[in-house]
This record gives sequence, C-alpha cells and structure tokens, in this order.
Amino acid sequence: MAVDKTEVLEEIREQLEAIKVPGAREATPESTWTELDVDSLDLVELVKALEDRFDIKINDDDLKPIESVGDAIDLTARLVEAKEGAPA
Amino acid sequence: MSAPEGAVALITGGARGIGAAITERLKADGFTTVTLGRTSGDVQADVGDAESVQAAFEQVRERFGPVLVLINCAGERQDGLAIRLSADQWESVVSTNLNGAFHCTRRALDDMLKARWGRIVNISSVVAERANPGQANYGAAKAGMLSMTRTIAREMARKGITCNAVTPGVIETDMTTDVADKLVAGVPAGRIGRPEEVAHAVSFLCSEGAEYVNGATLAVDGALAA
Repeated sequence: MAVDKTEVLEEIREQLEAIKVPGAREATPESTWTELDVDSLDLVELVKALEDRFDIKINDDDLKPIESVGDAIDLTARLVEAKEGAPA
Repeated sequence: MSAPEGAVALITGGARGIGAAITERLKADGFTTVTLGRTSGDVQADVGDAESVQAAFEQVRERFGPVLVLINCAGERQDGLAIRLSADQWESVVSTNLNGAFHCTRRALDDMLKARWGRIVNISSVVAERANPGQANYGAAKAGMLSMTRTIAREMARKGITCNAVTPGVIETDMTTDVADKLVAGVPAGRIGRPEEVAHAVSFLCSEGAEYVNGATLAVDGALAA
C-alpha cells in the first residue's frame, strides 16, 4: 500500500516544529531547507524521525539531492514502497 | 535551563580514581549516576568497540533512562618512548581514550538531541597540551579529545547541548602512583591534585550556570600547563 504523502508532510511539519524551525507549521512541499533555515544537523534529526516513524532506512547518498520538503516526502514514499514490495 | 530532574549521568571509567570522584559528586548534585566499565561498574562495555558501546547504551536506557550527561573518563596508559612503542600499545591507548569517547558521545547525542538538553565532559589531560616524553600515544589521544570537544560543541551549540573538556594535571590515583613523585617537582602548586578537585570542575560544567560555557578546556592542574 502506498504511503499517504499528506501523512509524511504532517510528520515533517511536526518534526521541524520539534526542532524549533521557524515557519514549520506553514511548510509546504515546495519549501526548501534554505528557505526554512534547516541546517545539516536539523536534517539529521528529521531523517531519524522519518526512519523511526515509517520504519525505513535513509542512506547518506539518498540525502544528497534532497533540497526541499517535497523531495523528503518523495524519498520517504519511495522507500516505504520499496520496503513493502520486498519479500518478507 | 537546568538539568531535567534525576537526569541520567553516565560516567565511563566511573568505578575508580577520578571517575569515582566524579560519580560521587554528580550523585550529590542530584543526577542519577550510572558507571560504565570494562569489567566493573553498573554496565559493562569495551568503549573502544562501537557495538559494545551501543549495547551498553541500550541497557542503560532500559534500566535507567536516556543519557543526558556523559562524562568520558575511561582511560588507559601504556607508556614508553615512541621509538620503543609497539603498534599495539599505540592502538590500544588511542582506542580506549579517544575512540571510546567518540563512540559514547555518538550514542549519547541521540538522547540529548531528543531532550534538547545535554552535557558532555571529556576528561582529557595536561599532556594534551604539554608534551610528556613516554606518552606519545596517551598525549595524542588526549589532544584528539580536545579537538573533538570543540567540534561537538560547535555542532550542537544550537541544541542546548554543551561539550567541554577538563585537563587534569598530576592527580592522586592508581594510574599515577608510579609517576607522581617524579612529576610533583614540576607542579607550580607544589602538590599533586585530588580527584575531588577534578570532580568539582566537572560538576560546574554540568551545572545550570555553565549553559554558555561550550567548547572550553578547563585546566585542573595546579598551573602545570600555564
């Protein structure tokens, strides 16, 4: 079953809020890390939260092209689908 | 911001010497102290082994709670002039003193980030900044700790986490009984230090008042390195 992208967006907003990113609540898929003032450590925390919440493993290489909330949502959805499609 | 009440303070090498004094002091300060040792202490781990450290941290979280204060005090010495120092002596000392501090710090940061509060104190040594012949391995590891301290401090400064170092001079412990007499003559204070004096400095660095002290090295050495 495909992951609900709205659910991922909400998780990202919650996590950004937890790490005290200004404007976390108003973040949209178009919001970039630069606009949100998300630094590399914030991103590490966000990734850990997404890994825990969706039971996925995000590699450092996967993170390199991730520049916006939308990129993070798409990556999470892709990894969840890959996991669910994999043999048990 | 003050420490969450009863926060867990993990002291590596906390069963004896300087570590034991730090454990007593932090307990008196209101922390829930947990000691980690290779064979002694509340939990056991080889700090130089990342997997062993991870297992120990899982045990600590389960039994006591998240680690919000970490004192990296586990240490070992294997002295010898560099020309006679074996690769094993080098690697063992660097592994315990430097790699061990890194492995423990990495694990503790997970808990500290979640809490938005943390205190890390690395117990380095005066030899990190003032060379002592016969301790190339120990001095290099302890100097590495100082650089790591400053880096972690900068990385975590926005997260309510501080990382500082203490550089004890000649302190009365099992580790220094063989060298204390020889070194005391060079100590401007004219005496060797007590473990409790190091513990007092650590206590300050873990206190509410030290929230803005980050990336610092506090010498407790009777002016030996001054």
